[in-house]
Amino acid sequence: MHILLVEDDAVLADGLTRTLQAQGMQVEVARDGLQADALLQRNPPLVAVLDIGLPGIDGFEVVRRLRARGDATPVLLLTARDAVEDRVRGLETGADDYLVKPFATPELVARIRALARRNAPRSTLLALGNIVLDSGARRARVGERALELSVREWAVLEYLLQHAGRVVSKQQIVDAIAPWGEDLTLNAVEVYVSRLRLKLDGAGVSLRTIRGFGYLLEAGA
Amino acid sequence: MSSIRLRLLKWLVGPILAFNLGAAALTYLLAWTPAQLAFDESLRAAAGALAGRVRAEGLAPLADGRQAVDGAGEASWAALHDARGRLLAGSTALPRPAGPGLRDAALHGAPVRIAVVALDWQGAPASISVARTVRARQQVRSAIVRSLVLLEGVFSLALVGLVWFSVGNGLAPLARLRKRLDARGSADLAPLDAAGMARELAPVVDAFNALLGRIEAGARAQDEFRANVAHQLRTPLAGLKLQLEWLAARHAGDPESARSLGLMLQANERMIRQTNQLLSLERAEPNRFARSRLQPLDLAGLVAESIQHVVEQAAAKEIDLGFELDAAPLQGDRFMLRDLVDNLVDNALRYTPAGGRVTVSCGASPDGGSFLRVEDNGPGIPPQQRRQVFERFVRLDQQSVGSGLGLAIVRDIANLHGAELRLGEPERGSGAVFTVAFP
Repeated sequence: MHILLVEDDAVLADGLTRTLQAQGMQVEVARDGLQADALLQRNPPLVAVLDIGLPGIDGFEVVRRLRARGDATPVLLLTARDAVEDRVRGLETGADDYLVKPFATPELVARIRALARRNAPRSTLLALGNIVLDSGARRARVGERALELSVREWAVLEYLLQHAGRVVSKQQIVDAIAPWGEDLTLNAVEVYVSRLRLKLDGAGVSLRTIRGFGYLLEAGA
Repeated sequence: MSSIRLRLLKWLVGPILAFNLGAAALTYLLAWTPAQLAFDESLRAAAGALAGRVRAEGLAPLADGRQAVDGAGEASWAALHDARGRLLAGSTALPRPAGPGLRDAALHGAPVRIAVVALDWQGAPASISVARTVRARQQVRSAIVRSLVLLEGVFSLALVGLVWFSVGNGLAPLARLRKRLDARGSADLAPLDAAGMARELAPVVDAFNALLGRIEAGARAQDEFRANVAHQLRTPLAGLKLQLEWLAARHAGDPESARSLGLMLQANERMIRQTNQLLSLERAEPNRFARSRLQPLDLAGLVAESIQHVVEQAAAKEIDLGFELDAAPLQGDRFMLRDLVDNLVDNALRYTPAGGRVTVSCGASPDGGSFLRVEDNGPGIPPQQRRQVFERFVRLDQQSVGSGLGLAIVRDIANLHGAELRLGEPERGSGAVFTVAFP
């Protein structure tokens, strides 16, 4: 997974690089806006993580040029100034997401993965902890153990894996797995999740319930 | 405070009334003097005529001694005195004449005017006195005074009215200026347009615009300073956090290092939190609140957005964090309300003991507004301390780690949105219930 990181602060750039590399990403670093602009053209990444306050041309301008070229590379803006306008303006300029520094690392990783999925050639393999879900072959494993899942359970797990590290609401799950107004209640989602929870025992993931709202699937027991 | 209107009125109305009074006095004199002279002339003529008759007819015209009452109800008396003042004929009521001429006197208690003319009576000098009551004169005089008072009264009122209107009219540009200033938003620092304003106001408008310019420059400098502070603090904090996390992952197996790194991470988190809170507190300053940023929002959506940021904190203390979110529409500033939600939830998670329970709910209230409620089953807050908790830098409990700013931020933001902030206790058991009721 090729990520372009544009950050002028050496300490943060170094920390981000290590963190993302630990997540199995290949990180290329640019120090200023012009360099970023050049790299985006020469070697388009899967996702660009872009600081707004850059020397030379700022993050907004980099995004503006990128979109002006008709390039749809997903962009995650990092901003330290929470000047309200920054957030709004960033998204208006054509960025896909933003995060205010300092951020929670799992959230950053989750957002980058979400953007990467949007850009990636439809990957058929989803993995977290010991779970591997191969939607091409419609096979799921926990470690070496095959996982038997109903169609609905599969859909719920797939959605949770796609949004690993992020809180998802039950309504979001319903909307995603039964998009055509099929009759699926929030209670039914709860039933699927509780069955999944039993089946995912020992899978090296935690599937946390946010009472009254939804779920959070994360790596780690 | 001095009033231009009062000042103008005082200096216009006062002199006008004084002038009117003077003019009235002069008019009175001018009208009354000729009338007086005419009456006197007629009295003197009557005395002269009587003297003629006495010379021709003897004392007969004075025979009845007293008076005649003429058609106008005016009584008159006549008498003939010799040079030494002895009464020769006529009314005894008349005083001894003091020589020819006219004078005022009183007869039987009524004011009279007396005319004396000299004549020769049987070869000796004598004088005829004729006295006449002054009823007609008084009637004429009161008629003059009445007309004058009426006229001057109407005149004065008309003038005062005119002055009042003119002063108001003259001050209208000021009122218009004030209205334009009132209509401005609190954050609108655009200069006033002097076009269409009175020339006399131009210096005021210029001075005002200069002031606005300085304020705007100040506000911009403050914004820039804030943005700089945010950047200068948050970027290194973010870098430090990532480096520490990386190091902590590497040294997870070494308890000594892990402990030290854990403490560093905690300190780092605290610095991050304090920085964020100071910046939100500054953002919630009333003079930075822009009505233009208000938009229709749903509290349920805002709470949902903030869940991601609080689940870790809840998980770390094994707090059962729950939500009961119903549609809660309101007009608000999205970013401030996010600060409000984050701080209320953070506060609850912070002061609820491990293993506790925190529930965030929102919805529409029966009165048409919306509410946000954060309920915990922690120790609660004693009633006498409930007011205090919203003050800045107040921490009720010295053990827990907090900046003492969170609830002050909540209060400021609630105030800006016209919301009522209540602190109570749950229906059952211990705990604290924070309710923000939006209008």
